[in-house]
Amino acid sequence: MSLPLLELRGIGKSYGGGWLRHRTRAVHDVSFTLETGRPEVFAIIGESGSGKSTLARMILNATAPGEGQILFRGRDLATIRRAADRRAFMQAVQPVFQNPFEAFNPLKRVDRYLYATAHHFTGAQGRVAQEAKADEALHKVGLSLAEIRGRFPHELSGGQLQRVAIARALIPGPALLVADEPVSMIDASLRMTVVNLFRRLRDELGVSIIYITHDLATAYYISDRIIIMQRGEVVEAGDARRVLMAPQHPYSILLRASVLSADPPEADAAEADAAEAGVPAQPWSPAGASLAARSGDVP
Amino acid sequence: MTEETMMLAPPRPTPALPAPVLSVEKLRAYYQMRFFGVTREVRAVDGITLQIGRNEIYGIAGESSSGKSSLIKTIARAIRPPLNVVDGSVRFDFGEGPADIYKLDPHALAAIRWRHLSYIMQGSMNVLNPVRRIRHSFLDFAFRHMHLPMPVFLQRVEGHLARLNLEPRVLNAYPHELSGGMRQRVTIALATVCRPAFIIADEPTTALDVVVQKSVLTMIRGIQQEMGSSVLFVTHDMAVHANLTDRLGIMYAGRLVEEAPTRSLLRRPLHPYTRHLVASLPRIGDDAPKAGLNGTPPSLAKPPPGCRFHPRCPLAMDICRTEAPPMEELLPGHRVACHAVRQELAS
Repeated sequence: MSLPLLELRGIGKSYGGGWLRHRTRAVHDVSFTLETGRPEVFAIIGESGSGKSTLARMILNATAPGEGQILFRGRDLATIRRAADRRAFMQAVQPVFQNPFEAFNPLKRVDRYLYATAHHFTGAQGRVAQEAKADEALHKVGLSLAEIRGRFPHELSGGQLQRVAIARALIPGPALLVADEPVSMIDASLRMTVVNLFRRLRDELGVSIIYITHDLATAYYISDRIIIMQRGEVVEAGDARRVLMAPQHPYSILLRASVLSADPPEADAAEADAAEAGVPAQPWSPAGASLAARSGDVP
Repeated sequence: MTEETMMLAPPRPTPALPAPVLSVEKLRAYYQMRFFGVTREVRAVDGITLQIGRNEIYGIAGESSSGKSSLIKTIARAIRPPLNVVDGSVRFDFGEGPADIYKLDPHALAAIRWRHLSYIMQGSMNVLNPVRRIRHSFLDFAFRHMHLPMPVFLQRVEGHLARLNLEPRVLNAYPHELSGGMRQRVTIALATVCRPAFIIADEPTTALDVVVQKSVLTMIRGIQQEMGSSVLFVTHDMAVHANLTDRLGIMYAGRLVEEAPTRSLLRRPLHPYTRHLVASLPRIGDDAPKAGLNGTPPSLAKPPPGCRFHPRCPLAMDICRTEAPPMEELLPGHRVACHAVRQELAS
């Protein structure tokens, strides 16, 4: 029986204090476990301010939890303080941030990040070895070093840049990626490229991914398990498909009901048939029937 | 009428709408920069023609850097060099006959702004002055357009806030004291308090989570229906378009590539870009694999010749590489710019 990859035991965190002793509870009593040897996409869903990002920072060991313990391969993150330990931890757990344009310095060529990561985490000495590592990682995300060598962030599209960010995170050979809203800043046509990439990383490279988002549709598409958070607490957890198809908690139900369907609202049958045949239900007149059905309060 | 006869019918020109509020004709706006004698042009808006009727919500979708924001800035005449209008016209008709917004003198423009033409901006955080109370923002934006004495004005503002489910006391709050959803509702209230005939909304819900997004959209729709305004709604989120807009235009690399009533556009997208966009939308309960679009969005400084979509297009033919397809009405009310689709529908 091997140790779990990541185990959260009753994690809590509150901010504030100060003169009036007003404290905000960002995260309260969150527990979950990711197993070793069973890579999965684990989605954390919630409204803004529900503590998703605070949780991500604690898993990345960037913020210490106020209560509870986070164990990575059986070791409490609070005991990782020496530089060598921290480096070993960072090698196994890597972040992907929301906005790739903010994550990269606009005045720095993006390939430099790849070389620096290769140098720090794989011990690659010299430009040739670092370029080989960078190229290998870029191939995993469907890019090549030839495409991005010497490019600045503004010369790449959001999707490309986010894939470079993921390639950078893959160079140390991590077991876990923590992706905080990785596709919310990316265009619709490129979003699925990144989402499919996560799926491939899980299936082919065996990387577990903590996918933090408020987009339920992509969460349904790629995740295996899901937790739904509201005001810092987990209100529902379980298999992604089951939770999203049949939510139980009132908040999950509200969330599910608020997702706008990309399919046009169903009209009556005749209208739908007409649309199927390529004939708009109403004659072509924006000021005509379709609008008369609305308010007559025209100024 | 059957599908067959529809397709055999020759494409007809767009019928003149009964007095559209906004008509944009062959609008071109380029970012023109000169460095040491070298001129560089970025063709952000390249030959766009569209009309928006009264009491209509018109949506514009497209990826970032497709020129959506440049287009609406140009329409609102909120542009500054290096973005310049090169060609074409933007005419508004607020009941006094069509007037080209670029031919108005500054006084006439100031009289139209906010009174008839208002703007819901994207980042509510950046619109509201962080060091002044909300009341001050209302005075700043709307007071001089309403021509009302101060107590009546404030009463009007409070009544309007109530319509958006905001209590009068938000007027005394600072922006940081309000939640994101409340701030966004305040910006909607700011943009609608003068009951304008035309509202431009630029990604008003992108920063909000799904629950708040839905309530904000319901409010925009409610206010629009109540006042009978026209709305130009820009977002890249197709689900929002599906639920809000009446007609939808798809932009790609500075050009409009398809335009149709939202429902028929989503049911039967014609342009290959739109087809991909609609097919790749993830849906809850749908386990089919979705593919991303290959290739990268074109640079607007050096757009590909011919149809700008051809390097990524699965239907690309020889003609697409040399000749830009014109925007034609291939089905009633459904305009498309694509050589392949035209051939497909003609045969």
